[in-house]
Amino acid sequence: MVNLRDEELQRIAQQLGRDPSVVELHAFDAAWSEHCSYKSSRRFLKNLPTSGSRVLLGPGEDAGILHLGTHDGERYAVVVAHESHNHPSQVVPFEGAATGIGGIVRDVLCMGAEVVAVADPLRFGRCDDLASHQSHIARAAVDGIGAYGNAIGVPNLAGDVYFEHGFDENCLVNVVALGVVNEKDVIHSYVPKGAEGWQIVLVGKATDPSGFGGASFSSLTLDARDAELNKGAVQVPDPFLKNVLMRASYRVFALLRERRIAAAFKDLGAGGIVGCSAEMTAHGGYGAQIELSRVNVAVEGIAPEVIAVGETQERMMWVAPLEFVPDLLRIYNEEFSLPEVAYNARAVVIGEVTAQQRYVLQYRERVVMDVESEFLTGTINDELPYTEKIYHGVSAQELPAVDIEGIFPRVLAHRDVCSREPLYRRYDSVVRGRTVLPRGAADAGVLAPVPGSRLGVALAVAGNPRYGRIDPAYAAEQAVLEAMRRVVAVGAHPIGLTDCLNFGNPRKAEQYGEFVAAIEALARAATELDLPFVSGNVSLYNEAATGRAIPPSAIVACIGSIADIANVITPGFKAAGSALLWVGSRELVGGGSVLAELLGHKGTLPHIEYDAERAALAIVRDGIARGVMRSCRVVADGGMLTAVARLAFDALLAGRKLGAEIDFGNPLCEAGGFVCEIGGDSGMDVTGTLQIGTTIDTPELVVNGTRFDVERLYETWSQPLAQLYP
Amino acid sequence: MSARIAVPVFPGTNSEDETLRLLRDCGGNAELVHWSQASNLAHYDAYVLAGGFAYEDRIRAGAIAAHDRMMDSVIEAAGSGKLVFGICNGAQILLEAGLVPGTGSIRRPTAAFTRNAPAPHFVCRHVYLKLAIEPARCAITAALPEDAIVPAWAAHAEGRLAATPEHLREIVAGGHLAFTYAHSTGAVDQAAIPNGSALGCAGLVNRAGNVLAIMPHPERDAWNFNHLDRREGDDVLATSGGSVLFRSFVQALASS
Repeated sequence: MVNLRDEELQRIAQQLGRDPSVVELHAFDAAWSEHCSYKSSRRFLKNLPTSGSRVLLGPGEDAGILHLGTHDGERYAVVVAHESHNHPSQVVPFEGAATGIGGIVRDVLCMGAEVVAVADPLRFGRCDDLASHQSHIARAAVDGIGAYGNAIGVPNLAGDVYFEHGFDENCLVNVVALGVVNEKDVIHSYVPKGAEGWQIVLVGKATDPSGFGGASFSSLTLDARDAELNKGAVQVPDPFLKNVLMRASYRVFALLRERRIAAAFKDLGAGGIVGCSAEMTAHGGYGAQIELSRVNVAVEGIAPEVIAVGETQERMMWVAPLEFVPDLLRIYNEEFSLPEVAYNARAVVIGEVTAQQRYVLQYRERVVMDVESEFLTGTINDELPYTEKIYHGVSAQELPAVDIEGIFPRVLAHRDVCSREPLYRRYDSVVRGRTVLPRGAADAGVLAPVPGSRLGVALAVAGNPRYGRIDPAYAAEQAVLEAMRRVVAVGAHPIGLTDCLNFGNPRKAEQYGEFVAAIEALARAATELDLPFVSGNVSLYNEAATGRAIPPSAIVACIGSIADIANVITPGFKAAGSALLWVGSRELVGGGSVLAELLGHKGTLPHIEYDAERAALAIVRDGIARGVMRSCRVVADGGMLTAVARLAFDALLAGRKLGAEIDFGNPLCEAGGFVCEIGGDSGMDVTGTLQIGTTIDTPELVVNGTRFDVERLYETWSQPLAQLYP
Repeated sequence: MSARIAVPVFPGTNSEDETLRLLRDCGGNAELVHWSQASNLAHYDAYVLAGGFAYEDRIRAGAIAAHDRMMDSVIEAAGSGKLVFGICNGAQILLEAGLVPGTGSIRRPTAAFTRNAPAPHFVCRHVYLKLAIEPARCAITAALPEDAIVPAWAAHAEGRLAATPEHLREIVAGGHLAFTYAHSTGAVDQAAIPNGSALGCAGLVNRAGNVLAIMPHPERDAWNFNHLDRREGDDVLATSGGSVLFRSFVQALASS
């Protein structure tokens, strides 16, 4: 099954001057798939800001790199990658989601970094019926993520989840990985000058027929009838082998450092051996010659095209100078005994770098592929038509007056608001002992990634599908703002962004238009906030056989730096008598809010005002710098009152029985901004903020005169997801 | 030359770095011993088995690793009275090796840390360990106060103590129940137990008191920066909380 279109096939035959071989056909099928080539997204993605003083490496390699800070005279960076594994997770959710974590971890590892955290933004169908297929996917994907991340010993630091009918036929499993590296020790994914004659070394699991056609498969819409047929395209995870591969690779990094030897390292992802080796050599200006029969295989008789482009998991590729190869092989094969850890797993030399810029594959000494490297790896573009304005009309309605006593518990129990703990407690968020704020403890997760140092890194994700349904561009802008606010709320300084653009079918002008509008919006928000995008991914064709596409979902991750983890804002109210300030946008409109959904009301979307956003950030940072910021939460799903309740819950869990008295018109609006607990005589300039109340020494929320018991609200909020995730 | 502590690394171990770091921060002279150097393992004075998924938890967590040749050295060391401390997967391995509770014979366990209940899932949850024996009953806990409460993280899918009623009676009668789960106040009830463990068991000790196996990870709540409720002004990089158990281990080694 090859998905190249007629005009693409003609172009290949014309360039080669002959019909392509079977291997070539499959190689181009992978290389020119949407998944690998970004052919319908590239021309828009280039509008995203990707540079800045913190950026060591923007998009282009396996992961982006941002300067984190200095410790003991050494400069440290964080490495970050963000991807989707949507299609595989819809077909075989456990394996699909697990290999999502496996792949993203390799992307970060291959930059020479130690992998220190993962995150998992998830979008599932509605799971009201616990026996439904959607519920099965929601459970199995989470178990796959947990099984993989827990076993390799990488903490799950951040993530979110939404349940919407729009994802009933197409779940989204996005994955983010974070690494830390000394800036001197970054390893690139292409060979440097002078690499002629270097050896190409394949490392990891024995190649098997799994994952054949994966890149091409991910670039198709899913038809439930074909789901069974598609299962062969999904890879099989092996976190046990990965655990050993990661540790062996760390050993290789140390030896390269010690000997001051340069080498190139890259993850085998989409397009398998061809995709990886062609890019590693061609982007350095070289060609490659590879003998496919040298590849360690799991079973005899695998066709050469399957060896060439199959996407067997847990494989990576080194291109290294001849003198280093014996040590490379010894570390993987003997010291870490790969062949004993998994059947026929090993490091093996499969070819070499050539000066001639041709990509040549042999199988049993017969040439099965011989093409110009540049033709295989060069950019291709699809200029598809798209609809310019995508806005699913919202009426300018005022919110009706609400009965807070009746509605607030319903907001807290809403599937977009209630506690995520039943889900994330299946993830290890504290392994490796560097966790400062574990998953779910606050608006962002925080790690101290460099042992012995006070440096911290914060990570958060956002992307609200309730906004996506209404306006894809607005949702994208809000995703940037919310991810950034989350990082700020724990006391970090936002330094960079990543994105995964999950959209429908680019061959339908309206669905493609949603995608184009969202990228423009991401670019606008990032430019206004002076934050670069350093890594990202595009997942198109998230459309069911019925033609229904997912709610447009630009999902954004924000990375924050912390100079001294002593200044991290710890969760929950700290004391009675603090002022509660709402800092930032607080427009009294309900569009896209949980409240609006519960009331069956449309409402207007809150206006985005960047001057106000920047001012809010300055105020929050000033409060932290003065040491008067006792606690803080962002206003997001469930509105301001939910943020206040969460601060009371956090205090309750820490054994502090505190509450708040609130006086504010409609406290369930989700306009954005922060709720801040400010202590004593702060001396802060609070222009533009609003005091909405004070903390009190009883575990109660008193809202415009209505009294709620914090422990009972906590019960209401903490229970709903425990049915899906017992 | 202070006594040397080995942290053996099996294929699949994943908590070796923080275990090593905390031992060193508590004054221990510790190093990692990788499975390819198994033959060196006999030359150490004490052993700390770290968390992870050795041999992929195949059959049952710890079952394969208990038969690894690295365990030959550990079993011999335990028999000769050297200190052996296992955490999480390390505890599972010690149980499967028959070293704790030690009421059966070597590699013929009388109890197991097995699938959590009632929900058979991995659980990552902050917990407290309560010392359920006289501190001096176990060399490794000797420096703890009576009824000590130690903060830690449970992070496992197979942490529920399971044994026949008769073997459970032996565990109690023989003083093998070293730690139970508790609340921070020391109160013990079902809500404090994250995994349905029999006897509320979080840790077991052998008869001689030189081998201790605990399921939760004190090394993940061991530096001030790990605590959500740290106080302003605390040195965030200083050890505290769960590190008391590691300090006690290092002290026991120094005085032995």
